[in-house]
Amino acid sequence: MTDIRTPRSQGAETDAAASFGDKEAGLIGTSGGDTAGPSATGPAQGWPRWLWRQLTSMRTALVLLFLLALGSGPGSVLPQEGADPGAVQQYFASHPALAPWLNRLGLFNVFAAPWFAAIYLLLFASLVGCVVPRTFRLAGSARTPPPRAPRHLLRLPHSASYPSALPPDAAVGVAASLLGGRRFRLRRAQGGDSGHWVSAEKGYLREAGNLLFHLALLGVLVSIALGGLFGYKADKLLVEGQRFADTPAALDEIHPGRLVSGSDFAPFALTLNSFSASYYTSGQSRGEPSNFQANVTYTASPGAVPASYRIRINDPLSVDSTKVYLIGHGYAPVFQVTTAQGQVVYNEATPFIPANTGTLLSDGVVKVPEGSPSQLGFMGVFVPTAVSVGGSLESAFPAADNPVVSLIAYSCGSCMNSSVPQSVYQLDTTGMQKLTATPHVLFPGQSWSLPGGNGKITFVGIKQWASLAITYDPGQVPALVCGILALGGLLLSFLVRRRRVFVRAEPAAGGGSLVTVGGLARTDASGGFEDEFASLAAELAAADASAAPEPGETKREPNNQSEAGA
Amino acid sequence: MAVNVGLAQVSSDFMIAALLIYSLAVLGFAGDFAFGRPRRAVSAASEPAAELAAVGVAGAARVGAAVGAAGTAGAAGTAGSGGAAGAAGSGGAAGAGGDSASASGAVPVLPARKVPALRAIWEAGPWVRAAMTFSVVGLLAHVIAVVTRGLAVHRAPWGNMYEFVTALTCIAALFFVYVMIRYRAWALGVFVMGAIVIALGLAETVIYTAAGPLVPALQSYWLSIHVTAMTLATGIFFVAAVLGVMYLVADRYRARVAAGKAQGGNGLIERIPAPAQLDKLTYRTVIFGFPIWTFGVIAGAIWADQAWGRYWGWDPVETWAFITWVLYAAYLHARATAGWRGRAAHYIQLLGFASLAFNILVVQVFITGMHSYAGVG
Repeated sequence: MTDIRTPRSQGAETDAAASFGDKEAGLIGTSGGDTAGPSATGPAQGWPRWLWRQLTSMRTALVLLFLLALGSGPGSVLPQEGADPGAVQQYFASHPALAPWLNRLGLFNVFAAPWFAAIYLLLFASLVGCVVPRTFRLAGSARTPPPRAPRHLLRLPHSASYPSALPPDAAVGVAASLLGGRRFRLRRAQGGDSGHWVSAEKGYLREAGNLLFHLALLGVLVSIALGGLFGYKADKLLVEGQRFADTPAALDEIHPGRLVSGSDFAPFALTLNSFSASYYTSGQSRGEPSNFQANVTYTASPGAVPASYRIRINDPLSVDSTKVYLIGHGYAPVFQVTTAQGQVVYNEATPFIPANTGTLLSDGVVKVPEGSPSQLGFMGVFVPTAVSVGGSLESAFPAADNPVVSLIAYSCGSCMNSSVPQSVYQLDTTGMQKLTATPHVLFPGQSWSLPGGNGKITFVGIKQWASLAITYDPGQVPALVCGILALGGLLLSFLVRRRRVFVRAEPAAGGGSLVTVGGLARTDASGGFEDEFASLAAELAAADASAAPEPGETKREPNNQSEAGA
Repeated sequence: MAVNVGLAQVSSDFMIAALLIYSLAVLGFAGDFAFGRPRRAVSAASEPAAELAAVGVAGAARVGAAVGAAGTAGAAGTAGSGGAAGAAGSGGAAGAGGDSASASGAVPVLPARKVPALRAIWEAGPWVRAAMTFSVVGLLAHVIAVVTRGLAVHRAPWGNMYEFVTALTCIAALFFVYVMIRYRAWALGVFVMGAIVIALGLAETVIYTAAGPLVPALQSYWLSIHVTAMTLATGIFFVAAVLGVMYLVADRYRARVAAGKAQGGNGLIERIPAPAQLDKLTYRTVIFGFPIWTFGVIAGAIWADQAWGRYWGWDPVETWAFITWVLYAAYLHARATAGWRGRAAHYIQLLGFASLAFNILVVQVFITGMHSYAGVG
């Protein structure tokens, strides 16, 4: 892979042929060499042109690639807004001095930060500036014939020679037909050329593949942008038996693309009939999940025939081009709160959030603003398989084999009437009084009479909840297609080598001719040209021998001499 | 499906056997270094037939010529004295060949075909013969160990870190034995097989995990596709990294000798292939691994879309796979850029492998993310 920047006015044909005179080389193939200052480009073009050249130079592309790698690093070490906003808040709390600075630098949202966008946009600008001229150059070189054969073929990196009984022109003709049969592009000596020769070239697909790779990367970027503009992602937590319609109001959390409006949501509705989780019960994997599945019934559009599906991990539900994934699960204990007068003021399955993903020990709150005489709040811990470890409750297994809830009750006069929205998973206990000093433990079916005439709370039973992700990404298929194209281009550019083979024949002293063969690979990445050339030379010699007028002549065996060019 | 305990035991035994046999192979390669006949001293001009048998001295001359030419074109020449000498040597040989051809007139001068692999191994001496035998037998045991592990757990045997490392070292060994035979590169054996023994030894002692079933997140045929590709590519990049380190050592030594800072004739370094050959071999290894890595990332994206609802989410492991990809891409570009060839390009390549190793050893183990294989919730 030579990177000689031959001047365009290259006259010596030998050198031009021997070095693949055109400038492109390597993978991106920008003129990787020294970019001349603005003065060198002439006063007319000046600085803009010089800047453009700098941007599209391989060196700049390299630096940008580095920056891209370097810039991605913090995104994996620091918590990210997109992936885990809670962790970012936690980081702010534990690093009050450092966090605001990191935030100013966009380090909590690296992949959406302006500086990160600047890096990849510059990189793609550099790529376009390099790939577009190369596409034209490739189109041009596909139309121009291969260069003339150099005078001294034995000076090429690969060369061979064999004597022929044929006159020079016929010997070259035999070689040309063999090379043409191998789908080389040929150029025979014309009237104006001296000597008898044929130039053959092959492997334009290498450059084409290389260009395809880079253009496909551009396509991937566009596809991602497409998804970012027109796609959306939403979450919905459903307790067994609950139903929801895919509208912005019904979803828990929505991340819409920039150009998405409420009417763009797919009009389906879905009911979670049941959720089941199973776990390994023995061996070292005991307690690890073996299967999750959410059995749902859905209608693709209002009035459509309901269908059922079993959503599992790795097996989402597809409704038109929207997909529904199972991304989380947990327990929802059902509580009933009754006032002293016997009025039911709360009767709901309340989703608890796993605090320990291994044992599914979960936390949750029950808020009863309708409580009488006081508003009531409960902080609870749900233990699926309760065991007592040193006096405290622990969960021994994630399945609900011995379920227990432990509740702390709070009360207040009217603290829940505040207009400030509160998370349903958190209880703000400021202004509330603890009703008892110690938590109260309930088994399913048990009730707890609350002190102060506040009625009673009953742990009715257990349901499970599943959290679903609903996503729509119109860029998905284009991204996949571009990814596959990029891979195909990459393979072409690595597997195909562009090579030239020249054959010259000179009249020999005793009749017939001496044929010399020279070979040259531009980039012999996979390293096979040596072998290819050796067998090609042998075949050329054999074809020549069989085309010779004296069939009785002994077949020439290639002797074990090294390739002369090495 | 339950784990087949008997097969799992067979797998463990074969894995230990592979480790021991590999160690013997390393001893063999080391013995060749210490006591074997020197082979690299032959020059292209004096013994043409040997050039293809050795790690292509001819190839070195050509690379040397190319790099030398780039040097004259104003780029920072990284060829060193070896490249320049190679260029000069090749010119001389070409001239001689041309003369003889035109003088004799009737004798065909065709490029030589290679010496067959087995004969090349035989001719390389008793140490190499023994070491290659151990390598191949060890590899066989290793393959059996990986396959029986897969049969024991009824899935692709790379569902946890221990399985992943044993599989990737198997790939590295397989690929390297091929490279060694293809390029007659016996002198590399002690380094690459040594690195494989260390990695496999650490896997056996530090992160051994008994055979077990998979969490639901990994119960997908994409495990066989995505992780297989990643394992393959990692094994191949592993070989490239060892070659890269050897290149840096050899190149530094040669530069020091050329600058008069070191005495020539260091027996160890004289015996490993010339920097130009190592450079080319590294490049070929990387361009073999790079498309596989790319495929693995794409397959991972498809799987991520199926399992998590997005094809790319900058999960820590995804981010580092991307960084690795970018760094290897930078290596490929650097190799085609004047002023970046040689040492600089190799540093980038090693940085790429460092990010890959960081991903496996630190990110997947200590940083929580979707790839923590914890199931849902």
